[in-house]
Amino acid sequence: MATKPGTIKRGVSLYSYQQSQFFKELDLEAQIREVGQNLSGADGIEIIDEMSLRYPDPGQDFIRTWFGWMDKYGTVPVTMDVGMDVLQFRDHVMSHEECADRLRHDIRLAKSLGFRNVRVLSVVPLEILKSALPLAEELDIRLGKEIHQPMSLEGRQVTEILEYVEQTGTRHLGIVPDFGIFQTRPSEVLLAAFERRGAQAGASAASVELARLVLKDEAPFDTAGLLAHTAGNLRSAFTRFLKSGECDAAYADAFHGVRSFADARIDAARDLDYTVVAEALMLSRTSTDTLRRIAGHVTGVHGKFNNMSPVPGKPGQFQDIAIDYEGAIAALKEGGFEGYVNSEYEGQRYFQDRTRDDLMDEVDQVRRHQEMLKRLIGE
Amino acid sequence: MFENFLIRRDSLRNEVRDGQVTGFTLAVRHANYRGCYLSLHNGYFIEVDGVHYPTELQSFEINGKPPRGFDEIRLAVHEHWDYDDEAILHVRAPGGLAPGRHTIRFQQSVLAAYGYLPTDEEWVRNPPTPGSGAGSDKAPQIMAYELELNEGEAK
Repeated sequence: MATKPGTIKRGVSLYSYQQSQFFKELDLEAQIREVGQNLSGADGIEIIDEMSLRYPDPGQDFIRTWFGWMDKYGTVPVTMDVGMDVLQFRDHVMSHEECADRLRHDIRLAKSLGFRNVRVLSVVPLEILKSALPLAEELDIRLGKEIHQPMSLEGRQVTEILEYVEQTGTRHLGIVPDFGIFQTRPSEVLLAAFERRGAQAGASAASVELARLVLKDEAPFDTAGLLAHTAGNLRSAFTRFLKSGECDAAYADAFHGVRSFADARIDAARDLDYTVVAEALMLSRTSTDTLRRIAGHVTGVHGKFNNMSPVPGKPGQFQDIAIDYEGAIAALKEGGFEGYVNSEYEGQRYFQDRTRDDLMDEVDQVRRHQEMLKRLIGE
Repeated sequence: MFENFLIRRDSLRNEVRDGQVTGFTLAVRHANYRGCYLSLHNGYFIEVDGVHYPTELQSFEINGKPPRGFDEIRLAVHEHWDYDDEAILHVRAPGGLAPGRHTIRFQQSVLAAYGYLPTDEEWVRNPPTPGSGAGSDKAPQIMAYELELNEGEAK
């Protein structure tokens, strides 16, 4: 199929450098410099407010410094990612309106730093977005709801946004696909980390096998109830299920199903082995064709990856074997997407059980990912 | 996340107040890729050489303020613990720890999450006990550290 010339832009979510920041190897300026100077044409900056900033108010001096860095390194503030911790007040669960207040604060903060987009979490109820939308329109900030594995582009989380956009004609609401939704199997670095902790190799094999069945919709249990939840929340729920035997009804069939699937393949499976097999539940099973059709509603993309390894026989080229990047980038091009794909490296966490010397090099992983993006975009 | 790096390795010290050893301290970091409102911080599971020190014996020093107990930390609803910042965990233990090596089992509990969870109302009424895994999504195992008591001058 013919594709339009690449108009997709490249950037980096500084989430990718979370470990370098933790160990004080790269501060915020060094992260921005790396993007501006070493990624052959990438210029987009995405941050998580509570990671990169003195939150909730970084102060006027910081704002001046920030714009100084943008000028100096030739970078552009693209997206600020914001959170929603509903137990902040501890004496009650925050109402939708209280959450909208926090979001309005974050929209103003994003504007003060020159961002064009604010990414909200995948689990933020539409009511909260509706409440904050007038301010976003006034400040010309586009709100993008993240669609993160195991959610899919065909699910309610996307259609409710598209319907609301159609009803109102707003240009300030859309979605942020996280390319983890195009994952085809549990990452090899995740499985290796579980095995170092004592999981059986058979559990990894069972997890890859179950993932293949889930993708083909041939899993021996119902997985439909899982798609509305974040992977983080799903993992927490599964941990609780293993400890207590209890879980939400929507999860019950799948959680019991994982246990049976594992028991049939692994001798004397332990909790950790079940946890490994349950990773197969995290796949979104979404379609690149849907991405092509809704590309006009995409405010930005999280270029999620867990491990960039060399492409065999092609020196200097890299790939993530667990995520279908070719299909996803082609869909964005065919759909006419003109925004930013931002590298979002997450695999560093799967090495943090090891010593300092064995940790992954985030800078190198992002450089490899940008090589792949540039090649697939066809710059 | 950061399982092996949540406690700074040279930070285990006895705490002396008015000439008495009142307990011990540790320097700790976020088990996450971001900071959070301080009120969400729910305390630690901490066990030293098999002795468990519940949250009531802990206080938390951050943002240039004196150590606060977790009953007070939960009221810090507009104060933020930023990602970059190391905090000092104080544990009340009269007499402190003996010189030498200690085995510390450790887990942080922070009630930060991605949006609404089924446990929200329950955790308002009855916050989870640290060590249960609740509030520890990104470091779900209790970690063991072998640390030497640092008897040098505090920095």
